[in-house]
Amino acid sequence: MSEKREKFLLVGDNPFHAISHLSQERTRIRDDRLTYPEYAADLVVISLENGANGFMFSVSETTLSILRIIRGRGEIERLSLHAIVPYAFEYVRLATQVGGIPGLAKKFAKEIALSGNMRAVAMGLKGVLRADPVSLMKTYLSYEISRIKSSAGKKANLQSVMLHQVITDMALALNLDWLFKSHVDFMLDLGITPGFNTGNFAYLVKKLKELSIDLCKITIAVPFNKVGFQMCPSREECEKTLADIPDDNVVAISVLAAGYLAPSEAIDYIATLPNIKGIAVGVSKEKHANETFKLLKEKLG
Amino acid sequence: MVLSGESLRVAVVGLGKMGLLHASILNVLPNVQLTALCEKSVITRIFLKKMFNGTQIVDDVEKLSNLDLDAVYVTTPISSHFPVVSNVYLKKIARNLFVEKTLASNYDKAEELCELAHNFGDVDMVGYMRRFAVTFKKAKDLLGREAMGELVSFKAYAYSSDFLGSKKGSRTPASRGGVLMDLGCHVVDLALWFFGELQVHSAKLTSLIGNGSEDSACFKVKNPDGLEGDFNVSWCVENYRLPQVSLSIKGSEGVMEVNDDVLELKLNSGKSLTWYRHDLHDNVFFWLGGPEYFREDEYFVNSVIEGCNVEPSFYTASKVDQVIGQVRDRAEENE
Repeated sequence: MSEKREKFLLVGDNPFHAISHLSQERTRIRDDRLTYPEYAADLVVISLENGANGFMFSVSETTLSILRIIRGRGEIERLSLHAIVPYAFEYVRLATQVGGIPGLAKKFAKEIALSGNMRAVAMGLKGVLRADPVSLMKTYLSYEISRIKSSAGKKANLQSVMLHQVITDMALALNLDWLFKSHVDFMLDLGITPGFNTGNFAYLVKKLKELSIDLCKITIAVPFNKVGFQMCPSREECEKTLADIPDDNVVAISVLAAGYLAPSEAIDYIATLPNIKGIAVGVSKEKHANETFKLLKEKLG
Repeated sequence: MVLSGESLRVAVVGLGKMGLLHASILNVLPNVQLTALCEKSVITRIFLKKMFNGTQIVDDVEKLSNLDLDAVYVTTPISSHFPVVSNVYLKKIARNLFVEKTLASNYDKAEELCELAHNFGDVDMVGYMRRFAVTFKKAKDLLGREAMGELVSFKAYAYSSDFLGSKKGSRTPASRGGVLMDLGCHVVDLALWFFGELQVHSAKLTSLIGNGSEDSACFKVKNPDGLEGDFNVSWCVENYRLPQVSLSIKGSEGVMEVNDDVLELKLNSGKSLTWYRHDLHDNVFFWLGGPEYFREDEYFVNSVIEGCNVEPSFYTASKVDQVIGQVRDRAEENE
């Protein structure tokens, strides 16, 4: 008989970045306070008191501020942290403003050089001199991890670092096998669970199996919801893949289908699925934080 | 062209973010072989060579000759569309072309490219991807079925926060061709798709960042049936984290509001209907950047294989450049 493991019940950060996949109009009429780190930190802590045990976030100035506030309140050690890098939206916006990918690369190199992270600087130099994408990727990951640690503190439990959906799926499409292997190896060496956020779950699992990457050692964040929203190529195909993986290593995201579903019916569906390691849900009000995580704890915890 | 077991040989010219996006999607499409990538940046080429096995990496479009290409994607900055596309046709590099929007940097050049496509090409398409978004497709379908009766007027906007708070005098907005070319073209294309020919009657362009950049535009149009429309376009609007395009259309029997996320139809009878993406079968075989990009590329590739005409073709897309030209002319007259 398999041992029942505690599931990750994670607070998602989309509302703190003013993201709604249901309707952008909704974010414009939402409470402005949501993007204030103090208010967001309050919501994370309230969720924690109602059953949440972790925070899934894209690494940005906003979420790093939230981590600093939670740390200041002495609550950081109660959270498992699941970081997603890079915060793609910010990099795309920056690329737009600084003149495309070359402009972005220059700005980014300057930031790493000024960060004082000597390991990252050395790896970065090696990467540039040898035109070595693996070294450059490690440089970038080291830089992001150092940002998280300097905000959350050394005692924080950085459980996993996942590659953002755009990076994962582009690498998947372009068969950049080295990227999957190096991310997994680098994170495992650091004692952090490597992860991938994807919109193409079945395709990704097939690729990871081809590369002989041990699925038991990684985390995959992927949309799962009753209406099949953002589940490509189909809900049925994603469910079939989920049933076939060897361990519970999936964190379900978009479970409310961006607010299209009520929490109770959304969670009832997730409760029927095998191999779910955790669930991430964004909350935008104290009432949501209370109700949603109580419900999650009751049905999945 | 009907393939018999072989793959369509495709090259992508310009490996910025749109080039990478299309190259990625093409690489997962069955019947496509990503044969070559063309990029002028030396550093980018060095990394591309390290990352891609079996794909030719070149620095000049002319080096794509002799690769026996079936199709070329042009995803360079707008200002270079004309020379790149001309070269592809005149050097007989490929007969099927996909060009990211807008077709050219002005209507005269767009017309020349239409002529070249007519003389030297087969399938030609411009990347107005919002035509492949489920909400706008549904709107087009409802308009075709006259769900709102006779059309009276419309309001359209395209907003983003991309350059909100940009440094005064920054050169980047101008180098992207201005807000009309970069963002406004999408809403103009949708309006032409929905309502047919449009004539610009008055226009105002505003430079908020300076250095001659077009950062905001408002203009009024009419179609031959007397339908009137108002456009507002800006990339310096607060709270538009992602660019959004929206149309509000008034008909004799009701009102339709449609944007990237949702379509709402309110009829005078009191009946009201709403469709989110969730309701409109939005999933695709491979998700990258949004499902509309996959649909767009799949449609182009299938059309090349089957030898069908596509929309928006160069000719259709040239009408967007024509409207943008009229906006600039009217704005200049108003100054």
